[in-house]
Amino acid sequence: MATQIDVLEPLPLPEGPPERRLPPREWVRENLFGSVFDTVLTVLFGLFLAWAAYRVGKFVFVDANWEIVERNLTTLMVGSFPRDQLWRLWAALFVLAASLGFGAGAIGAQRRREVAEGRAQPAPKGVAARRLAPVVLLVGVLLWFSGSLRNVVLVLAVAAVGALFNLVGRRAPRRLERSVPLLVLAGVLLAFLLVVAFGGVKWSDWGGFLLTIFLAVGGILMSFPVGVLLALGRRSSLPAVRLVCTGYIEFIRGVPLVALIFMGVFMIGFFLPQGVERPDNIVRVLVAFVMFTSAYVAEIVRGGLQSVPAGQIEAAQALGLSPYRTTRQIVLPQALRSVIPALVGQFISLYKDTSLVFVVGLAELLTIAENITKQPDFLGQGLIVETLVFASFVYWTGSYWMSRESQRLERRLGLGER
Amino acid sequence: MSVFKGLALCVVFSAVLLFGVGCSIGGDDDDGGEAAGDTGQTEATGQEGGASLLQEVQNRGTLRCGVNDAVPGFGFIGEAGEPEGFDIDFCRVVAAAVLGDSEAVEYTVLSAEQRFTALQSGEVDVLIRNTTWTSSRDGTEGARFLHTTFYDQQRMMVPADSGVRSLEDLDGETICVLSGTTTELNLETVFQARGIDYEPLAAEETEVLQPAFIEGRCGAWTSDASQLAGIRSNWPQGQGGPEALVILDEIMSKEPLGPVVRDGDDDWADAVNWAVISTVAAEELGIDSTNVQQMLDSEDPEVLRLLGQPAPVEAGGEAEAFDAGLGLPADFAVQVIEQVGNYGEIYERNVGPDSPLELERGLNALWTDGGLQYAPPYR
Amino acid sequence: MTTATPMPTRRTPLWRNVRVLRFVLQVVFLVGVAGLLLYLVDNVVGNLERLGIPTGFDYLDQPAGFAIPDSDFSSAQSLGDALIVGVQNTLKVSLIGIVLATIIGVLVGVARLSSNWLVRKSAALYVETFRNIPVLVIILFWYLGVVLRLPPIGEAVEIPDLLVISNRGIAIPWFDKVGEGFAFGLVALVGLAAAVLVWIWRTRRFDRTGAPHRRMLWAGGVLLAILAVGFFAAGSPWALEFPERGERSTTGGFRLSPEYAALLIGLALYTASHIAEIVRGSILAVPGGQSEAANAVGLSGWQRLRHVVLPQAFRISVPPIANQYLNLMKNSSLGIAISYYELTKITRVSIAQQAPAVQAILLLMGIYLLISLSIALVTNLVNRRLTVKGRR
Repeated sequence: MATQIDVLEPLPLPEGPPERRLPPREWVRENLFGSVFDTVLTVLFGLFLAWAAYRVGKFVFVDANWEIVERNLTTLMVGSFPRDQLWRLWAALFVLAASLGFGAGAIGAQRRREVAEGRAQPAPKGVAARRLAPVVLLVGVLLWFSGSLRNVVLVLAVAAVGALFNLVGRRAPRRLERSVPLLVLAGVLLAFLLVVAFGGVKWSDWGGFLLTIFLAVGGILMSFPVGVLLALGRRSSLPAVRLVCTGYIEFIRGVPLVALIFMGVFMIGFFLPQGVERPDNIVRVLVAFVMFTSAYVAEIVRGGLQSVPAGQIEAAQALGLSPYRTTRQIVLPQALRSVIPALVGQFISLYKDTSLVFVVGLAELLTIAENITKQPDFLGQGLIVETLVFASFVYWTGSYWMSRESQRLERRLGLGER
Repeated sequence: MSVFKGLALCVVFSAVLLFGVGCSIGGDDDDGGEAAGDTGQTEATGQEGGASLLQEVQNRGTLRCGVNDAVPGFGFIGEAGEPEGFDIDFCRVVAAAVLGDSEAVEYTVLSAEQRFTALQSGEVDVLIRNTTWTSSRDGTEGARFLHTTFYDQQRMMVPADSGVRSLEDLDGETICVLSGTTTELNLETVFQARGIDYEPLAAEETEVLQPAFIEGRCGAWTSDASQLAGIRSNWPQGQGGPEALVILDEIMSKEPLGPVVRDGDDDWADAVNWAVISTVAAEELGIDSTNVQQMLDSEDPEVLRLLGQPAPVEAGGEAEAFDAGLGLPADFAVQVIEQVGNYGEIYERNVGPDSPLELERGLNALWTDGGLQYAPPYR
Repeated sequence: MTTATPMPTRRTPLWRNVRVLRFVLQVVFLVGVAGLLLYLVDNVVGNLERLGIPTGFDYLDQPAGFAIPDSDFSSAQSLGDALIVGVQNTLKVSLIGIVLATIIGVLVGVARLSSNWLVRKSAALYVETFRNIPVLVIILFWYLGVVLRLPPIGEAVEIPDLLVISNRGIAIPWFDKVGEGFAFGLVALVGLAAAVLVWIWRTRRFDRTGAPHRRMLWAGGVLLAILAVGFFAAGSPWALEFPERGERSTTGGFRLSPEYAALLIGLALYTASHIAEIVRGSILAVPGGQSEAANAVGLSGWQRLRHVVLPQAFRISVPPIANQYLNLMKNSSLGIAISYYELTKITRVSIAQQAPAVQAILLLMGIYLLISLSIALVTNLVNRRLTVKGRR
C-alpha cells in the first residue's frame, strides 16, 4: 500500500504567558512599597531623582547659555568643510535616505512574509516609531539649535524621500530580495562619492560630527577583513603564522589606543624614508584605528570560529571539500553570523573611541566642542560645560540607538539565550 | 546574502577609501610648483645621497611652517581666520626667499609637546614657533637653531591684587606653566635654587591655563615676557582687563627665540638662516618695503650686493650679480623686503610699541642702537 | 590467507608534498614579516642617525629637569625615575579606580534587578547614560565642569576636621607616622600567625563536631584584638591627621589633586556602568531552576542570593569583568587630556624636553603591555581556579 505523506503544516508558535495587568493602586503598592525597606528606598530615590531632574532641567532650560552652540552648529557638525559645498552633504543625505529607506522597506516586507508563514513573531504595534526615537530626538535638537526654517524643510524632505523609498522597497518583487543589500551599499557608496568626487571636498577637510561618523564607519569596514584574516591566522595549523598573529593581537590588546594614535600621528615620519610624502593626519588616525580594532575583531571572530561545532568541519572533510572551501562556505558563515551582535558592540566602541583623537587635535566633534570655547567672543566664560553637554548628547543618541538596535538584532537571531 | 559577499563588499569599500587616500596624498601637489629656474648655480645637496630639503621645497612649491596659534603678536589666528604674527611673518620671509612667493606657506599648528617630533619626522620644513635655543635641543633633539629673531626673558605674572611683589612671596603657590617648554624647566631650577616651595600646574595649551588662572586654580603664571604681554593685552574686560595683572620685573632666565630646522641638512639651514638675516641686514642698510625699488639703483655697493644687483662697471663689460652659493635666487632679498618687510617693519607691525603688545625694541634693537640684532656681512 | 602484494611506494613530488608546502609557506610568511619589520627599523635608525638623535636607551639616565606635581620627585632625578613615578601614578589611579568601579558596579547591577520599580529604573538610567558616552567626554566634564568649578582656596568648603574641598584639591584625613613602626610590625606578624592558628583550630573543630565554625569571625576577631592591643602598647605609631585650610593649599591629611580626582571619578563611573551590565547579565544567566529549587528548599531571599545565585554568577562574570579592569587601566592614559602626570603624560613631557620620540613611545607601549599581561595572568589564574571541572 502506498504510504501517504501528510502535508506538513507549519506549527503555530506558542503564545507567551498572558501579561499581568495590575490596576494602578495595586501596582504602586507592589512595586514601590512592597516592604518597609522598599518604602524607604522609594522615598530616598524619589527625592534624589526629583532633585536631579530639577537641577538638570534648570541647567538645560534656564541657566545655560546655548548661544555658543547655536552660532557654531555648522562647525560642530562638519568642521571646516567649505560652506559653499554644503549642498553636497544634503545631496548625500537624500541618497542615503533613499537607499536606507528602500532597504528598510524590503526587509520589512520580508519580515511580514515570515510572520504570515508563521515563522516569526509579529512585532508589537508602534515599534517602528520607538526604534527611530533617538534619531528623531537628535535631529529635533539639532534643528532647534540651527533655528533655520530652511533646514527644517530640508530635513522633512529627506524624511519624505526615505518614507517614499520605504514604500517602494515594500513593493519590491521577491526575486530582488538577494540584491537588496547590494543596492543599499551602492547607495551609500554613491553618497560618499557625491561628497568627495566630481570636484568635491577632500576628506582631509572633513571635520566635526561628519568626521566622527567617517572615522567610525571607515575604521570598522577596513578592520573587518583584517580581523577575520587575523582570526583565521591565529587558528592556523602553521605555527609561524599562528605565532605572528597571536603576537600581534596580544600586543595590540595590551596597549592603550592613545599610544597607538600617538605613534601613528607623530612618529609615522620616522618610519618612512626621507622624501616620501607624509600621509594626511586623518589617514594616520584611520590606520591607528584599523590596527587597534582589527585585533579586537579578531578575538570576536575567533570566539565565533570556536563555537562552530567540530562536526561541521568533519562533515565537510568527509564530503571532500578543500580547506579553503570549508572555511569559506561552512565555517565562516556560521561563525560570523553568531558574532554579529558582538561586532556591532565593537562598532559602538569605535564610534565612542573616535573622541580620542582629541589628544592629537584632530578636528572631530569633541575637539571642536572644546575649541569653540576659545573663540574671543566666548573665552573665559566657562561655556565648556554647555559644549560638552551638547557633544555628550550627540554621542549618546548615536550610541544608545545603535545598542538598542543591536539588542533587537540579538533577540531576533535567537542568540544569547540559555 | 552570504557573509562572504559582505566581506568582499568591505574590501571594495576599503579600496574606495584608499583611492581617496591616494587622492589626498597627491592633492598637495595641485599647486604646481614654480619652476625652480632661478635657483643658484650650485646643486643643493644636504647629506650623502639624498637631495637637500631646499631642493624638495623648491620642487614642491610650498613651505611647510610649524607655528603657534595661541600667542598674540607672535603666532595667532587673526580676524580673517588666517595665521598672523611675528613668527608667521618670518615664515613668509623664508617662503619669499626660497620660493619667491610669501604666501606659498602651509601652516601647521603645533603644541609645545609636539613641535620637535614634528620637525624631526619631517612634518614641517622649519619651525618658527617662539622656540628657545638651548644646548640639549641642538644635541639630542636633532635640531639646528638659526639666527635669533627675538631676545626674550622669562618672567612671572600675578594678579594685581595678590600682593605678590617678588618670587619669594610665592612660597607654597600653585603656578601655571606650559608643559614641554624651557619655562617649565627654568621654573623648577630657579625655585629649587632659591628654596621656594611650589606646585606646578602644567598644561599643554594656554587656553587651558587661562581659565585655571581666572578661577584661582593657580595663583601665578610664568612664561616668556612677550607671551605674558600678549596674554595680558588680551585679558577680558569682564575679569578686570589688563590692569588686573602685573608682570613681575624679576628675570628668571634668558629666552633667545628663533627659527629651527633639522640637523643634518646644512644647505637648507644656510638658506633659511640667510633669508632671516637679510631682514636685519636690510634694516641696517636702511632698506625697507617702501624704498626697496629705488634702492635697486643705489650707489652703495653693499646695498646692491644684498639686493642681488650687479655693481656698476665703468669700463663697459659684463657685471655679475653676487651669488653667495646659498641656492637662493639672486634677488631673494628684494622679494623678502618687498613682500614682508625688513626686521624693523616686522617688529613694529606685530609687537612694537604701537601694537597691542606695546613692546619696546630693547634687546631687539639693532646693534648700532645698543641692541643685539647684528647681521653678519653679506659678501 | 593470501599474502597481500605490497603497494608500490611512490614519493609524492615535492610540489605536492603537504609537509614541504607547509614548511615553505611558513618560511615565505616569516620572511615577509621579518622583511617588513627590518625595513621599518632600518628607516627609523637611518632617520635618527641623520638627525643626530641617539638611538639607544641611554637617555633614561639624563636628569629630567621638570617637576612632577603632587609628588616628591626632584628635577635632578633621572628620566627613568620619572617614568617610575608615572607608573606609580597610573597604578594609583587604576587600582583605586578598579575598587571603586567594582563596588559601584555591583551595587548598580544588583539594583537593576530589584523588585522596586523606582530603584530598577534609576539604575537603568545610570547604566544607559554612562555606557553610551565616551569616557574621555566624561573625564573632561568632571574636570572642567565640576572639579575646576569648586571654590578657590580662599573660599574653600570646610567640613571641620574632615574635608577641605576647593579647586586645588580635596583633602581628607590620613595617617601620619609619628612614632616607631617597627615594634608594631612585629605585633602585626604575631597577630597574623595567631589568626591562622585560630582558623585551623575552628576548621578542625567543625570537622570533628559539625558545629558551625564561623572561622572568619573568630580569626578576624583575634587579629583585630591583637592589632588593637599592640597599637596602643607600641605607643600609637600612627596618628590621624586632619586637613586644614592654608592660604594657598591645605596642610595635613592627604590631598587628592583635582586632576586625580576627576580622572578617578570619570573612570570609576564609566567602568562601573559596564560592570553593572555584566553583573546583571551574569545573574540572569544563572538558570532559573536554581532559584526555584532554592525557594523550594526554603531558603530566604538573602540566603538564596548568597549561597546559590551569586557564587554561580560570580564564576560567569570573572572574564568579562577582568576585561573591564584592563580597559580601566588602559583608559587611565587619558590623564594626558587633563594633565594628570601618569605614564603617558610623563612620556609626552619627556619627549618634549629631551627624550627621543621613537624609543620613548616604544618603551611606553612595552610598559603598558607588561602591566596588561600581569593583570591578565592574575585573572587567568583566578578563572582557572573557578572553572568547574569537566566544563570548557
